[in-house]
Amino acid sequence: MTKNFGNLIALQDVDVVLRKGEILGMIGPNGSGKTTLFNVISGIYAPLSGEIRFQGQAITNKKPHMICRLGIARTFQIVQPFGQMNLLENVLIGSMYGRGMSIEAGRNKAEEVLYFVGLKDKMYLTANEVTTEDRRRLELARALATEPQIILLDEIMAGLTPAEIEEALKLLYEVNRRGISIFMVEHIMKAVMTISTRIIVLNYGQKIAEGSPKEMAENPEVIKAYLGDRYV
Amino acid sequence: MKISSAKLWIALVLIALAAVAPLGISGYWLRLFTFIFMWIGLAGSLNLLTGYTGYLDFGHVAFFGIGAYTTGVLMVKLGMPFFPAMLISAVLAGFLAVVVGIPTMRLRGAYFAIAMLAFAEAMKQVVLEFDGITGGGNGLSLPIYTNYQFFYYAMLGTVLLIIGTTYWFENSKFGKGLMAIREAELAAEVTGINTLYCKLIAFGISAFFAGIIGGIYAYWMTFLYPGDTFSVLITMRMIIMAFLGGAGTLLGPIIGAAFLATIEEILWAEFKYTYLIIVGFIVVFVVLILPRGLVGLFRQRILAR
Repeated sequence: MTKNFGNLIALQDVDVVLRKGEILGMIGPNGSGKTTLFNVISGIYAPLSGEIRFQGQAITNKKPHMICRLGIARTFQIVQPFGQMNLLENVLIGSMYGRGMSIEAGRNKAEEVLYFVGLKDKMYLTANEVTTEDRRRLELARALATEPQIILLDEIMAGLTPAEIEEALKLLYEVNRRGISIFMVEHIMKAVMTISTRIIVLNYGQKIAEGSPKEMAENPEVIKAYLGDRYV
Repeated sequence: MKISSAKLWIALVLIALAAVAPLGISGYWLRLFTFIFMWIGLAGSLNLLTGYTGYLDFGHVAFFGIGAYTTGVLMVKLGMPFFPAMLISAVLAGFLAVVVGIPTMRLRGAYFAIAMLAFAEAMKQVVLEFDGITGGGNGLSLPIYTNYQFFYYAMLGTVLLIIGTTYWFENSKFGKGLMAIREAELAAEVTGINTLYCKLIAFGISAFFAGIIGGIYAYWMTFLYPGDTFSVLITMRMIIMAFLGGAGTLLGPIIGAAFLATIEEILWAEFKYTYLIIVGFIVVFVVLILPRGLVGLFRQRILAR
C-alpha cells in the first residue's frame, strides 16, 4: 500500500503479511512510517492506493470503529486515556463498544482484563491519577477488552525501566498465548528482538528488510539505516 | 454515579415542594421560579451536549429560538393547539441539530463553536427574512394565556425530563461513550465507538429540550422578537450557568443556573445600575477559585470512594 501527505510519500508500496498467532515486530528510524502504517491499518487514514485484507475480507475504507469491531485493536504511542474516567470505565468502553456488550457483561469483562494486566486494585482511580506505566497498561487493557484477533502495539514499552520491560514482555507473551496476533512497533531493540517471531524494517516509507530477528541484526541494509554507511 | 437513597429522598422532597409551591405563591414569586426553571432547563440542555461530548455550542440559542418561533407560527398561522405545536417544534429543533451536526460535528473545538455561532445568526436572519410567516422585525404575537401556574408546571416538568436524561447519560452505555469522546475522541473511535453517530444523537436530544423550552417560553411571553429570541446572550448565560455549576455533572447546571439567577435577582433589586458588574465579578471569582464548578467542591470526595 502507499500513503501520501500532499507531495510527501509517507509509505511507498509497503507490503506486510501478519500470520495468525505470530508476533511481528516492526522497526525503523524515526519518521520511517511505522505509526502511519498503523494509522492506515486502523482506518484513521485512507491509503492512496493498495488494499488491506483481514481474514480474507477487504477492510480498506472502513471507519476505525468498524475495524475495531471486526477484531483489530490498537494502542497509541502517546497514550490517550479517557482522563477523567476511572480505569474500570476506560476498559469498559472497550468491552461495551468494541465487543458490543451490555454495561453489566462489559463490566465483568473489564474487571477480568484489568486483573490480567495488574490494574484491578486501582480500577476506581481516574486515568489522570495513575503513573505513565499504568497508563500504558491501561491502553493495553482497553484494547484487549475489545477481544481482538490482532492487536497493534505502538511503542508500548517506551520510557519503561528494564524491570518494567521484563514485566511487559511477560504480559505480551501471555496475550499471544491466548491466541491474539501481535503487530508491534518498538524502539527498544532488546525487547523487540526477544519477543518477535519475525521482524520487518521500514526506512523512508519503504520496507527494506524482513526476516527473523537474527537475520535482521546481521542485515547490512538494516545496519546502514540505523548506524550509517561506515558501520557496514 | 449511582444515587444513594438519602440523596434520592432529598430529591423527592424538593420535587414535592416544587410541585405544591404554586398553591402558596403567586405573582412575582411564581414568575421568578418559572424563570429559574427555564434557565435550569436551558443550562441542562446545553450540558447534555457540551458537558458530555465536550463540544462547546456557541449557538445553542438557535434551538431555543426555533422552538419558540415554530410554536408561535403553528399556533398563530395554523391555529394549532399549544401541545402539538410545541412537540412539533421540539422535534424540528432536534432534527435540525442533526442536520447541522453532520458537517459541523466533524470540526473540533473552536471551529464547531464558531460554526454554531454562525448558525444561530443565520436562523435569526431567516426569521427576519420570512416576515410574511414570522412577523419579521415587527415581532410575532401569540394567543394570550394567563394561567401562569401552567407555565410553572410546564417548565418544571421539562426540567425533570432533562434531569432524568442527564441521569441516564451518567449511568448508561451511551453516556459513557459520550464521555469517552469528550476525553479522547480518536481513542474512542478506535475503541469501537461510532463517534459521529453518538455525537449527533446527543446533539439532537440536547436541541430537542432547548426547543421544548423555547416553545413554552413563546406561549408564556406571548410575544416574540427575533433579536431577543435568538440573542447570543442567551447562549452565553447557558454556558456560564453550566460551567459555573460544573459541566458534565448531574447537579452542575441546576446549581449554576439557580445560583446565578438568584444572585442576579437579589442584586438587581439592590443595585439597579451596577448589578451586572457585580455579577460579572462573582462569576470571575467563582471560576478562578473553582475551575471545576461549584459541584467540583463535592466531586473530589465522590471520586475518592
